Amino acid sequence: MVERQPPVAARGDTAESESALIDLARAGHTDARETLAQRYRQPAYLLAVQMLGNRDDAMDVTQDAMLRFFTTLDSFDSERRVQPWLFTIVRNQVRDLWRRRRRRPGDSAPDADSLTSQLVAPGPSPEADLRRQQLREEVWRAMDKLPAEKREIIVLRDFHDLAYNDIAQVLGIPIGTVMSRLHGARRQLRARLEEGGRHA
Amino acid sequence: MPDACGRTFDEAFLSGYLDQALVQGDEQRVRVHLEDCVSCRALLEDLASVRDATMSSTFDIPRDDEWSEAPRTGTSRLLRGLGWPLVTAWIVVVIGFGLWETWQDADNLFERLLLVGGLSGVSLLLISAFLDRRHAMQTDRYREVRK
Repeated sequence: MVERQPPVAARGDTAESESALIDLARAGHTDARETLAQRYRQPAYLLAVQMLGNRDDAMDVTQDAMLRFFTTLDSFDSERRVQPWLFTIVRNQVRDLWRRRRRRPGDSAPDADSLTSQLVAPGPSPEADLRRQQLREEVWRAMDKLPAEKREIIVLRDFHDLAYNDIAQVLGIPIGTVMSRLHGARRQLRARLEEGGRHA
Repeated sequence: MPDACGRTFDEAFLSGYLDQALVQGDEQRVRVHLEDCVSCRALLEDLASVRDATMSSTFDIPRDDEWSEAPRTGTSRLLRGLGWPLVTAWIVVVIGFGLWETWQDADNLFERLLLVGGLSGVSLLLISAFLDRRHAMQTDRYREVRK
């Protein structure tokens, strides 16, 4: 039913191949478009699900973001990295969805364990691994309770491994602000974990 | 920015240190401070532990074939492009012929009025649906997006 994503470190691709793919996709090569879609859909989905906590909403947002990505391909500077640009689109789509949802009083908020329910459960493993998985679940449960602007910066840095300048681009903030905002968010996450009875 | 523990830098530098995002001078300042400050060391260890848990998490993801925007093949697009106009033309011809035959076979004015009235009602409903659809398409922000 589901797949596991490769480790974060394995997701990166060289800027050269990225740039070449963008050029080919612009020239109308369907294979290049499909390769781009396969390469970036997964991180886009993960960001969406980490922000929304709901698989179906995250798939819709990812789909819209990928379509937007291909529509605006002509205006993209191929010397820049694709991921921060795509993440900016995903973030905007997520915010659009929230705005629309706020107009519908019938829509319920995601439940508190929505993010943890998306985590892949570990197989039979030593006790130490189980403790680590328990900490992961507590972290994402606490993350679920953070305000969106705190959660997104932690997710961008600690899960997606974006550099500070890429985070600044995605969030539309000065690079000098990234470190202080990230630290404030990490502090708040730690406080939530402690509130939940867990010392990180 | 002096602190109770004697720190001479902003606490956010601890996150910068953790992420290896500080310039050399700042990184050295933080490292030297950490050697003597138990509370900052404990905070850094906490932050590192939470970051490692976040970083090593694995989420369920949809399979490739669950994404509906996967491009259709060229042949499929061509056949679909030909199919819809043919089906539309067939519907128009069949309905038109049926209506013409019914009109011809109608014996009196009442039957003809019944036919015209029903036809007019259906036409108005279709026009209304068409106008709504056209308005929705014109205001769709993603109308230029190609699937």
